[in-house]
Amino acid sequence: MTENTIRLERRLPHPTAAVWAALTTPDLLARWWAPGDIAPVVGHRFTMDMGAWGHQQCEVLAVEPGTLISFLFSEGQLDTTVTWRLEAVEDGTVLHLEHEGFRLDTPMGQQAFEGMGNGWPGLLSRIDGVLSGVS
Amino acid sequence: MLPDVFGAVSNPARRVILDELCDGPRTAGELTGLLDLSRSAASEHLAVLREAGLVREERRGRHRLYHLQAAGLAEVGGWVKHFERYWTQRLDALENLLDEEKPS
Repeated sequence: MTENTIRLERRLPHPTAAVWAALTTPDLLARWWAPGDIAPVVGHRFTMDMGAWGHQQCEVLAVEPGTLISFLFSEGQLDTTVTWRLEAVEDGTVLHLEHEGFRLDTPMGQQAFEGMGNGWPGLLSRIDGVLSGVS
Repeated sequence: MLPDVFGAVSNPARRVILDELCDGPRTAGELTGLLDLSRSAASEHLAVLREAGLVREERRGRHRLYHLQAAGLAEVGGWVKHFERYWTQRLDALENLLDEEKPS
């Protein structure tokens, strides 16, 4: 619960230009993540169609062309920041992902913790009791 | 996009089941009675909860007894982990896409 940032990296045997295109071109982005009108322009506001989770509002916060793009992800719901950083290496690219700012006091965080919805009052506190019994 | 466990607890009927199981194991019949649902609908909900690792089924004679899996609920608390898993899958998909798009 204390860790509120996800950091992942992936070594890809592809040039940074190809990886950058896959991250910042809507057509390509839709093929591995979700449809959305992303553009590598600071201040650009766009939505990602996250299926059952609905359209999520995003805003580009920082861009270093070919190297870094950072955007606010799921404004008003999850309220997190996603940052992709591309590191050129000899045989391709190391792609770094940082997804930060997960907080339980966001609407999404609370829903996730309490059970994705209303009508479950009390269970949260009861879970604590049950868990302390097993751990 | 939501991990299984969130999907599992997103349904009110399934939350009723979990709430009830907090008080101890129940048979499939007891849970069905609680839900005001058809037997088949109830057993579908139980299957979803089982697949999400939130309940465990125990066969006792001709009854099926359901237990709460507290560890599964702990995962709801550790929800950020689900996003980590989610992103790992997306990175796999990205890698596949790049392989497909690679000029030959």
